[in-house]
Amino acid sequence: MHEHAEHPVRLVVEDDLRRNRLTVFFRILLAIPHFIWITLWTIVIVFAAIINWLATLVTGTPPGGLHRFICAYIRYSVHLTAYVHLVANPYPGFVGEEGEYVIDVRLPEPAPQVRWKTVLRLPLALPALLIGATLGGVGGTFFAPNGGRGGTGVRFPSFGGSGALSGVAAFLGWFASLVRGRMPKGLRDAAAYGIGYDAQVMAYLLLVTDRYPSADPTAMLGDVERPPQHPVYLVGEAEELRRSRLTVFFRLLLAIPHLIWLTLWSIAAEVLVIVTWFATLITGRPPAPLHRFLSRYVRYSLHVYAFLSLAANPFPGFLGEPGRYPLDLSLPGPERQNRWVTAFRIVLVIPAYLINYALLFALAAAAFLTWFVALVRGEAPWGLRNLSAYALRYSAQLNAYLFLLTDAYPHASPLEGAAPEPATFDELL
Amino acid sequence: MTRATAGRALLFGVLAAAWAAAAWFLWQSRVPGSLHLPRLDEHDYFTAAQLRASASFSRVEVLIWLFGVVVQVVVLALYAWRGHRFMRESAAGPIGSGMLLGMLGFAILWLAEVPVSVLELWWQRRHDLSSIGYVEYVFGNWFALGGEFVFLCLALLIVMGFARLLGERWWLPAAPVFVGIALLFAFVYPYLTPTHKLDDPRLRATAQRFEKIEHVEHTPVVVEDVRDVTSLPNAEAMGVGPSTRVVLWDTLVYGPYTYRELEVVLAHELGHLSRNHIWKAIGWYALFAFPGAFLIAQAVRRRGGMAQPEAVPLSLLVLVVLSLLATPIENVISRHREAEADWMSLLTTRDPAAMKQLFRDFVPATLSDPNPGTFEYVALETHPTIMQRIEMAEAWRLRYATSTAQSP
Repeated sequence: MHEHAEHPVRLVVEDDLRRNRLTVFFRILLAIPHFIWITLWTIVIVFAAIINWLATLVTGTPPGGLHRFICAYIRYSVHLTAYVHLVANPYPGFVGEEGEYVIDVRLPEPAPQVRWKTVLRLPLALPALLIGATLGGVGGTFFAPNGGRGGTGVRFPSFGGSGALSGVAAFLGWFASLVRGRMPKGLRDAAAYGIGYDAQVMAYLLLVTDRYPSADPTAMLGDVERPPQHPVYLVGEAEELRRSRLTVFFRLLLAIPHLIWLTLWSIAAEVLVIVTWFATLITGRPPAPLHRFLSRYVRYSLHVYAFLSLAANPFPGFLGEPGRYPLDLSLPGPERQNRWVTAFRIVLVIPAYLINYALLFALAAAAFLTWFVALVRGEAPWGLRNLSAYALRYSAQLNAYLFLLTDAYPHASPLEGAAPEPATFDELL
Repeated sequence: MTRATAGRALLFGVLAAAWAAAAWFLWQSRVPGSLHLPRLDEHDYFTAAQLRASASFSRVEVLIWLFGVVVQVVVLALYAWRGHRFMRESAAGPIGSGMLLGMLGFAILWLAEVPVSVLELWWQRRHDLSSIGYVEYVFGNWFALGGEFVFLCLALLIVMGFARLLGERWWLPAAPVFVGIALLFAFVYPYLTPTHKLDDPRLRATAQRFEKIEHVEHTPVVVEDVRDVTSLPNAEAMGVGPSTRVVLWDTLVYGPYTYRELEVVLAHELGHLSRNHIWKAIGWYALFAFPGAFLIAQAVRRRGGMAQPEAVPLSLLVLVVLSLLATPIENVISRHREAEADWMSLLTTRDPAAMKQLFRDFVPATLSDPNPGTFEYVALETHPTIMQRIEMAEAWRLRYATSTAQSP
């Protein structure tokens, strides 16, 4: 079992998912005063960060006053981003008050930092900024051609980049909140995860801590209630981080036969899913042989992308057999499905497709970085592995939904669903 | 002698006779058997500086080739010994694991050969024969490795699939399947080669005239742009059926060669098509595929046969060693075909002087040794030597050019 020390920058989520429809509708406009304020604050922070860097380099520890000022800025940035991304409902304050907002961040006290890490802070932060660009958008300034917001002017890493997970979750959450008056938990968790990661990146970049950001979604949302278990979930050996350097080096080429085979299999699956759709619409459940075939296809697809993205080590088999791969998928049987959901499946899947699209960027970035780390260390980093597993799980849930294996909608929460508690003795009685 | 042994001997004899008959048929050539090549002195055709430069270049090329062969054999021998350990990196079944072991063998070989490839490129760049960058070259090879992986997986799928069905007799159905794949590749290859139309109307008209003479009408003649990566002149005939074509490199068409020299090249390539050399090459491949596959099947018996993934590393070594051993024979066959194409060119152009001049020009352009040593000739030369080609042109001149009445 791997030991994973708690990160000093911790996201606190006390949001109850309720949203005021009026403030949701006008959310961006209501945030305009905050946008102006954070722009001014950001200008000051740039200079403060340079002074802080020099002082930390000389004394080894960030000066207390500057540290508090930067922490307030990071907190404020988290509050504002959470508000704009509909992760929180109440209007935030303007000074980054500690412990007073429903989405908050706990930051460490000033502590001695390793000097060489301070000297090289910006280049060292580049991988985290790359991941950040795909999650919360913190790296958008560095990795997007027009900065994080399509060239609208605010270019400091405090706002979500276009195409980032938080941005897509907020976009979808806006419609859902307007209709239901509640933010879907999956979307809220996904956006909160991105914001939490952004906070860790900013804390690292601005010398609040020298602890590197962790992309592990389970640790980031450790205090958040897990969603109920989805019928499609990952099983296998999560702790297996060993990677063969040789197969890592040639991973892309080694995957080519699988990608060809997967393409051929996809053609057959796409034809058969049409047959399955008619059958499910008529009988209310998918025919067992077709369900088996499509289950194999969805599982095989997970195996291939887990191998390709370095989320798993061994070369997968070509048949999508259950129980043979360390990152495997549990799929439901051919159960009864809602006919309305079946009829409109292709339309209903669009929001999930958008989330999946955003997560694919995260998966690609995680795979790219894991490649270097695994080549050097012979093992995958825990955080990136879990980020990849999250993206792969969501993709598998989407495929299972699209290919009519289940009518359960994909759950966007980065947290793995909690298995139902076994019945207590009293309940049995 | 038991009946079974006698039966086997008889079967072997029949197969050997069939093999020999097929080889005899494929060996047939338009070059007169009585043709005697006159001994010419290379110093009459090339300057001492040219001979020195080409000999020096070729000597190092041979050394690099030898180095590459040693690396190849040593790496694959080590892989045959220890490669089965990579089984633990596979969660696939026997065939999938076999594919992984095959790909990893090629991957390790590629890594080990990077220094050899870079050394060879450095030598060519030093002599202005190549202008491709090192990074571009290595990464280009890396992507090409992906193509090799696909082919290798397909080959292993066929071999291991048949081995699981038929045991040690997998080679019987596998060999014809490989011949089929070779044929398919010969057909598809021209479509994978980016080319453009020959824009010289005079050369196009000549091509049409030669096609009529050589009975290969309507063969497209196209140009491939390679000038960005190499300065070497080249041309090739490729394809079967509707994909048949002649490809001229732009380094040749737009190079320092006279119109008459280009005619010689054109007639030579059309000669390949006229004499069905691509089909014959596939025929030769078939003749080698059966015994080759049989020998591999025998060699890996102690590893459990080709049905077991553990046998794959050893099979790669055996395949490479057999290919190396077959190289001199393949070179003999290839030189025989090229000589026939030269002869066809002479019959078509009736211009031995242009042919001689073409090969004289090739020496400074390619730094080929006009008269290489025996080892280089046996191991590396897929074409007759420059001097042999000049001698053939001279032989044709002596035989036909003196009297039109004697012309074929």
